[in-house]
Amino acid sequence: MINTPALRLTNVSKKYGNHTALAGVSLEVPQGSIFGLLGPNGAGKTTLIRMVAGITGPDSGEVEFFGRPLSSNDIHSIGYLPEERGLYKNMRVGEQAMYFARLRGMTKEKAERELRGWFDRLEVDGWWDREVADLSKGMAQKIQFIVAVLHKPKFLILDEPLSGFDPINAARIRTEINRLRDDNGTTIMLSTHDMASVEELCDHVALIDHGSKILDGEVDFLREKTREGKINLKFRGNLISFTAALGSSAILHNSVSYGDNIHDVVLGLPSSIPIEKFIKWISSEVDVLSCTPRIISMDEVFLQAVNNSEAS
Amino acid sequence: MKRWLLVVGREYKTRVRKRAFIISTLLGPFLMVGLVALMVFIATSTTESDSKVLVVDHSSILTYSLPGEDDVRLPSCSECFPERDFLEYRFTNTPLTTEEFIESDYTAMLELDDGVLQSAKALLKYEMAASTKVKSALKRDLGEAIERLRVKNESSLDYETYKRLKVRVGLVTQDIITQDKNIESQSWIGFVFSIFMFMFILIYGMHVMRGVIEEKSNRIVEVVISVIKPEALMGAKMMGIGLLGLTQIVIWYMLSWVLFIGFGFYVESTGLLQEFIGDQGSQISATDFMTFIESDSDLGVLLQVDWAMMLGWGAFFYVAGFALYSSLFAAVGAAVEQESDAQYLLVPAMMPLIFSYLVNVFIMESPDSTLAIFCSFFPFTSPITMMVRLSVGVPWWHVAISALILVVTVYFMVKLAGKIYRTGILMYGKNPTFRELARWLMYKNR
Repeated sequence: MINTPALRLTNVSKKYGNHTALAGVSLEVPQGSIFGLLGPNGAGKTTLIRMVAGITGPDSGEVEFFGRPLSSNDIHSIGYLPEERGLYKNMRVGEQAMYFARLRGMTKEKAERELRGWFDRLEVDGWWDREVADLSKGMAQKIQFIVAVLHKPKFLILDEPLSGFDPINAARIRTEINRLRDDNGTTIMLSTHDMASVEELCDHVALIDHGSKILDGEVDFLREKTREGKINLKFRGNLISFTAALGSSAILHNSVSYGDNIHDVVLGLPSSIPIEKFIKWISSEVDVLSCTPRIISMDEVFLQAVNNSEAS
Repeated sequence: MKRWLLVVGREYKTRVRKRAFIISTLLGPFLMVGLVALMVFIATSTTESDSKVLVVDHSSILTYSLPGEDDVRLPSCSECFPERDFLEYRFTNTPLTTEEFIESDYTAMLELDDGVLQSAKALLKYEMAASTKVKSALKRDLGEAIERLRVKNESSLDYETYKRLKVRVGLVTQDIITQDKNIESQSWIGFVFSIFMFMFILIYGMHVMRGVIEEKSNRIVEVVISVIKPEALMGAKMMGIGLLGLTQIVIWYMLSWVLFIGFGFYVESTGLLQEFIGDQGSQISATDFMTFIESDSDLGVLLQVDWAMMLGWGAFFYVAGFALYSSLFAAVGAAVEQESDAQYLLVPAMMPLIFSYLVNVFIMESPDSTLAIFCSFFPFTSPITMMVRLSVGVPWWHVAISALILVVTVYFMVKLAGKIYRTGILMYGKNPTFRELARWLMYKNR
């Protein structure tokens, strides 16, 4: 059933002594999505991820995996790349990758075949028999990534997957993440601080702060929502007469002027006025050069949501 | 393949192939035997120039002068003070002055007073200290000379008969209830066992701790415990490393026998044995190494020890003792992020181990004292101290109780350590206090 979410948390809580790591979090990760898990440091992301990875269990609440309670049988279907990860120093690269693959239940033959393919694709072939100590940081991270995804998990958890990669390799890993979703239908939960990669990769996000979810939904929807009808308008004409004409029909948020005549303004448009109608009307007052819906970065979405939640 | 077996395999394989392990495993016995051999060699061999000793027989008790030649004296018995290739005797009854002695080519001067026959003591004056080898030859020669004279003076026996009649007593003790026979000097074998026990538990327990810290500090543990339970990971790790220790023990044990037997053949083939026996002046007339070992009061126990019993219980106490301590060390490793932070937790964890090592000396002396019995029952000391008691014989039910207490303690210890481990490996930041560790024990499962 495609409508069953890959992961559903219902009112999940977790305490460590007196510290509440998660306080009644509910969220759904749709199948086949790339789900961004966002939040400031110490918000409870790691606890949530560990719960999904099967490392810890919730004190209360439910964790459902493809419609059934998460059980120890699901470990073969889950891939996990922790943050600040490392490798065993006293093992060779290939041997180490084989070990993790077999821990995830792959047979020797299958693991080796898949590994050779991945090593080839990420250009780490030739490193099979090398010592881990000889690997550069980026190399080691590629190996760790391969190890996490090798068994073609249905559900993949990536904690800061792109940190530490140079731009070229980061792009390569992004491609691989997309490919896993598109080719294997893998659902991916991705935790990161890097909003640019959220914009590039994620279609859904949830924002967690102080152990509670404060925002979640589709990326496009959230950006639209945060936009709150804001538009960018560039025109030639007099700013004072423009403001007068505008009256109370729209709110002027910001303006930048180029010379005397050209102005770039941010307007807040009430939802009752469609943008086309507004353009038509304002064109009679000033000479409109361009008019676009304002592009909201995920940074803004993030900051605004955190500020709102702290204010309330 | 079961996942925990994969972990056991990894822990074992990655360590067993390490160069340091291979070298120490293969060279260990050679080093130990070599060290002992070297000490013996240094003590007995003489690279020094041959000794020439002037025996000053003040009262002419052991020597006589040839008629007309007062300054040339000879030993009273023809067999006494034989010439050796490293030692030459001259006899006189007038001592040299210090200046004369320094001038002369004598290396030492052995002064006998008129009470020598009763006291069996003599004064050895030297300019350069005599080697052990020379001293033991001197003692032997002088002793035989005195003995011969005493036998001649005080009995109707001839010396050969006397020598044949002389006895050395070995005491065999038997527990009247258990019927166990013990040879006193066997306790040193138990002592050696316990030293190895201490060494292996400590070395391989540390391996466990380091392994835990490595996995924790590079976050590998998170990947692994997302697949297998933390307690299973800890157990598998202990098992893999415990097997590693066992491997080394078995190889050392076998190599030691090979070396021992090889040494025996060497000694037999070179005739060193006869020379050694001769030097020792011992009453044994052994021509082969084994007979020699058997007849020597200290070495003979090597052949009399119940090896099957010692090794069997040794294996049990190693496995259980290792499980006990390595689970403690695993918990310590899980609580900290770096080895250097582990000190404050390691000290209390290691205390009983070191205590049992130290208390061993007393247990060796009186293996049935209250202290010995307590230590061989108390689970944190029993793996080490029981080995000493086992070697000299101990009631079977003492061993049974000790083993039972140990097994039960191991069970609870591993469970407790597992709880600390489970919580600790996911905690980063400051090192936990003892109070926090106690709280971790209360956290509920998963």
